[in-house]
Amino acid sequence: MLKYSIRRLLGMIPMLILISIVVFSLAKLMPGDSLSGEIDPLNTSPEYIAEMREKLGYNDPLPVQYFNWITGFMQGDFGKSTRFQIPVFDLIMEKVPNTLLLGVTALVITYIMAFIMGMYSGRRPYTLGDNAIAGFNYVMLAIPSFVAAVFAIYIFAFQLNWFPFAGSVDILVEEGSFEYYVSRMHHVLLPAIVLGAMSTASYTQFLRNDIIENSRKDFVRTARAKGTPIKKIYNVHILRNSIIPLVTFLGFDFAALIGGAIITETIFTYPGIGQLFLESVTSRDYPTLMALTMLLSFLTLFGNLLADILYGVVDPRIRLD
Amino acid sequence: MKKKSLLWLFALVLILSAFLAACGGSDDASSESGSEGDGSSEGTAEGEPQKGGTLVYGLDAPPEGLFSSAFYGIATDAEVIDLFDEALISYNENLEPEPNVASWETEDNKVFNFKFEEGVKWHNGEELTVNDWVFALETIADPDYDGPRYANVQTIEGAEAYRSGDADSISGIEVVSDYEINITFDEARVNNLTNLWAYPLPESVLGDVPVAEMSASEWVRSTPIGIGPFKVDKIVPGESVEFSKFDEYWNGEVNLDKIVLRVIDNSSVVGALQNNDIDMISLQPVSGPEVEPLENVEIVTYPGLTYYYVGFKLGKFDNESQTITEELPKYQSKELRQAMMYALNRQEWVDAFFFGYADVVNKPVPSAHWNAADDSELIQYEYDPEKSKQMLDEAGYVDTNDDGFREDPNGDEFVVKFSHYATGNPTFESRAQQIAQYFEEVGLRSEVEMVEVNLYYDMVEKDDASIETFFGGWGTGTDPDPSGLWKADQLWNYPRYNNPEADQLLDDALDIEIVGTDQEKRKELYVEWQKIVNEELPMLYIAELEEIKALNTRVGGVEYDVSGQNSPAEWFVTE
Repeated sequence: MLKYSIRRLLGMIPMLILISIVVFSLAKLMPGDSLSGEIDPLNTSPEYIAEMREKLGYNDPLPVQYFNWITGFMQGDFGKSTRFQIPVFDLIMEKVPNTLLLGVTALVITYIMAFIMGMYSGRRPYTLGDNAIAGFNYVMLAIPSFVAAVFAIYIFAFQLNWFPFAGSVDILVEEGSFEYYVSRMHHVLLPAIVLGAMSTASYTQFLRNDIIENSRKDFVRTARAKGTPIKKIYNVHILRNSIIPLVTFLGFDFAALIGGAIITETIFTYPGIGQLFLESVTSRDYPTLMALTMLLSFLTLFGNLLADILYGVVDPRIRLD
Repeated sequence: MKKKSLLWLFALVLILSAFLAACGGSDDASSESGSEGDGSSEGTAEGEPQKGGTLVYGLDAPPEGLFSSAFYGIATDAEVIDLFDEALISYNENLEPEPNVASWETEDNKVFNFKFEEGVKWHNGEELTVNDWVFALETIADPDYDGPRYANVQTIEGAEAYRSGDADSISGIEVVSDYEINITFDEARVNNLTNLWAYPLPESVLGDVPVAEMSASEWVRSTPIGIGPFKVDKIVPGESVEFSKFDEYWNGEVNLDKIVLRVIDNSSVVGALQNNDIDMISLQPVSGPEVEPLENVEIVTYPGLTYYYVGFKLGKFDNESQTITEELPKYQSKELRQAMMYALNRQEWVDAFFFGYADVVNKPVPSAHWNAADDSELIQYEYDPEKSKQMLDEAGYVDTNDDGFREDPNGDEFVVKFSHYATGNPTFESRAQQIAQYFEEVGLRSEVEMVEVNLYYDMVEKDDASIETFFGGWGTGTDPDPSGLWKADQLWNYPRYNNPEADQLLDDALDIEIVGTDQEKRKELYVEWQKIVNEELPMLYIAELEEIKALNTRVGGVEYDVSGQNSPAEWFVTE
């Protein structure tokens, strides 16, 4: 297992180098830079813009720019955000807690809902309930999250007043107090529900199909023949086997947790990685944009590795070497 | 990912409109819709100012977090700074400077003597002295300074030498006492004062920070201080700021106890206003019609300093030599440009795309400026397609091959190529198409090209051959001098308009030898200049925008004029 992990990790290096070249080229191919766009003649002058371009190294040859960037990156220096004027690393660290909270809450909601619906569907396949659940799942999957977000705000925040409509915390409560954490949960719940409830389809259907498949297997027939209660067969014997494939999803969710939800975060004005990503695209904040893309690429690769390893852990039949 | 964000924006606007229609429908359209903005506009609550209470101030875009006058880059940050800091000099509704903390005297417009109020306190309890201002000026002139304000310090005598490292201090700054300072400029200009950087920086907290690290320091990011009526208590980056009343504010009583600033997404603005979740916010024109019917909200408009235009590329500019090197023949005919102006139904266009929150203009100087020419002195270019057709006929643009469109005087095909920037806002394409449609109606074949916004400005600036006529906008500041956008040696003179006579007028209006300190005389010269560009039309002036604010009816004491809002100290809320 250790050998396998090391081999995989080493294999990631050329992949990451390739990704870095692609990310860098794509960023540089975007027209304009952080200094172009609508000019405010009050605040700036052509001389200032020319000077800043020189200072930021935008006039260097591309390979030099790439080399400077990647050298800094390897040493953990992600550069300075051209928009916020602070190191990108600090910027990302500032947003990560919010995004993690939102991501984990959404994932928990997804898992709980998918688990309940999947178990129900798997046990009673092709019934009205099963079809209703499938219908619900696919409708949710089909609704774009920004539509759901806008409607959720309108209904739950403005009409029913159950949740706040924006932000991650009420600024008037004291930081660190009990109310502070309550306020944070209160703020995160609505976006988390929008995110979580919308993405149950794959988990539910996966679980359902696996349960159906397992229920036809020999060990289930044996258990039935022995007179084990149906409830126990489903909740213990089948479930334990059916959860295994779900574990692989966890690896893929890993990158999504940090990556944040670009659209949902923006609509809820929830300051996280997703919102930062969108802003860095619109304002040509290359250092932030490139650091985030690299980070997400790395996490995706790492998540895949994690999924493979976890697979080996939960299912002894699979050997990694 | 680029595509994704564009798609998102597009879809969001569609959804937004459905959503707005839904929540607007439940109200009777009975409330009055805002006072019209001529001169100044007042907030809505009646009666005596009340003490206490919390006002919620909305922002529809997240600030970048550069909460220092010397370092901020975008208007959103400036809105936050305005709540806790103020300038040494303020501007009245005619955009003329007025003493605030500092008053001044000058005899020759070269040497200025400033006197500060005594007893003005920073939020950390230190007293404001002229040294804080010197500190600000030296910070901005420092070679390590990474903000965009150097142009406002450059004109002080010795600033160049300080910046290049040849001097240890700026020679034009002479501190007389803690409350008195003399500033000498490199030459006498009429606009030296309005151009000068007039915000102090707190030396007591930033004094030990190297200039290169200032913009990233916590004093700028999370614990900024100023001299305004409110002090910053807490900042949650990107989403909210809490301000509380500053008890030692130098200039009178402060009414409110607290201001809470919240960032909200555009899609939530109308709902938040309706639910009393926010008390005041700037509105986009598109939200105006949805907010007007709300009973608990009033809309206040005041004149803005932004105008939109359709420019012609008349030449090419060489940035090295700062001269216009080549003349492009296609749109040189003044009659053609005037005919195209008469072809535009600008009022209809403005009503359709700015929902009435804009006025048609015929000059490139916002009407709120003191040097704006009166309409009676300018050609008005009322929509007149018949006149347009006639002018085109006379200028030789006639349809010679019966394809329904006019050819140029040589008989070659003539196509108006019109470029507009694209940002994902779906109305941009339709508004560009509409302009092309007006040209086609008088027989000029037109093509619209939408270009991604950053690339667009790059192309316009570099005189790319594919840009022939282009849509653009400029915001002008408190200094009404249009030289930076109009003279032949300026990069931002995008039409490459080259008229030595007009340039001479602009130079004269700034020349202290000619105009002295006589504002009337300056105005005459500017009016003369406006008459020229009004007749020659190097660009087709379209409209100037109004600023739109939504105020909850419980808010009072808020006043707006063209220079912006009044001091937040005067704001109050009723329960």
